[in-house]
Amino acid sequence: MSQAELHNNEMIHRYLNDLRRYLARLAPHESQEVIREIESHLFDVLDQQAANGQAADVAEILRGFGDARQLAAQYVAHIEEGAPPPRGFRAIQSVKKSVTASLYFAMAVFGFSMALSLLFVAGAKFLLPEAVGVWSAANGNSIVVGFVAAPPAGMPEVLGWWIVPVATLLALGVTLLTRRVLRVLKQHM
Amino acid sequence: MNSTEALMEKWEVQLRKGTLELAILAALQQRTLYGLELLKLLQSLPSTTITEGTLYPLLDRLKRDELVDAQWVQEGETRPRKYYQLTPLGNKKLTDLTRLWRQSVTDIEWLLANPGPQPLPNTGV
Repeated sequence: MSQAELHNNEMIHRYLNDLRRYLARLAPHESQEVIREIESHLFDVLDQQAANGQAADVAEILRGFGDARQLAAQYVAHIEEGAPPPRGFRAIQSVKKSVTASLYFAMAVFGFSMALSLLFVAGAKFLLPEAVGVWSAANGNSIVVGFVAAPPAGMPEVLGWWIVPVATLLALGVTLLTRRVLRVLKQHM
Repeated sequence: MNSTEALMEKWEVQLRKGTLELAILAALQQRTLYGLELLKLLQSLPSTTITEGTLYPLLDRLKRDELVDAQWVQEGETRPRKYYQLTPLGNKKLTDLTRLWRQSVTDIEWLLANPGPQPLPNTGV
């Protein structure tokens, strides 16, 4: 057998092996039948090309059959019609679902704890007025927000008692936003 | 490719897809062929050209639907080939599809042969 023939045979076998792999969902005798027919076709065409004195063009013949996976999909399609998704697919769906579920809970925890912290700051202002506030530092280039052990020295306090309504409104806003995001996420769960 | 050509091609693809089953059944009318022969026959006609990758899975489906039968045959030195022929059910389907096809051709030909502006006899349009 010449080098070119060896190469052609190898291409054909590789293609048929791929096809066999993708046909795995058929019964073994069905998949074998498909392979046998296509193999017979391929070698028939090669024989005819040789008989006509043409150079064998395996790549061109295989192109007519198309990608092995897509070819196999057409043979397998009837099994999937009206049938529940195969096991592999169900696993993919539940992975996707659990990602969405963890995203949902992470979003809920993040949003509501943010809102709670803001409410907590607003409430704490009444108990510890000196320790709660928004301080501006470096001429407004940096700020300190919230709860501090001792008021930062030399920084002006910005909001004073306004921190109570501002933090409460922010908490309300964050709550509403979180609920809307959660509603959207829920639709995609 | 301009958009008119693209649309024409799309239409041609749709038409070919819709008539493929009829073309295969018609090609097997009172004839027993193996895949490669059938492929060459269809590829020899301008409007029924198809690829190997379309033909073989379609034959598989026709066989599952019991419209065609297949046997492996080995003659002399040649390699075994899978020959297809119509079943009685396939023959009936061919008759049905042929009737629909001819009706469709007749209707479209009639429309083409009867342009406006004169009103059409039956419908008054």
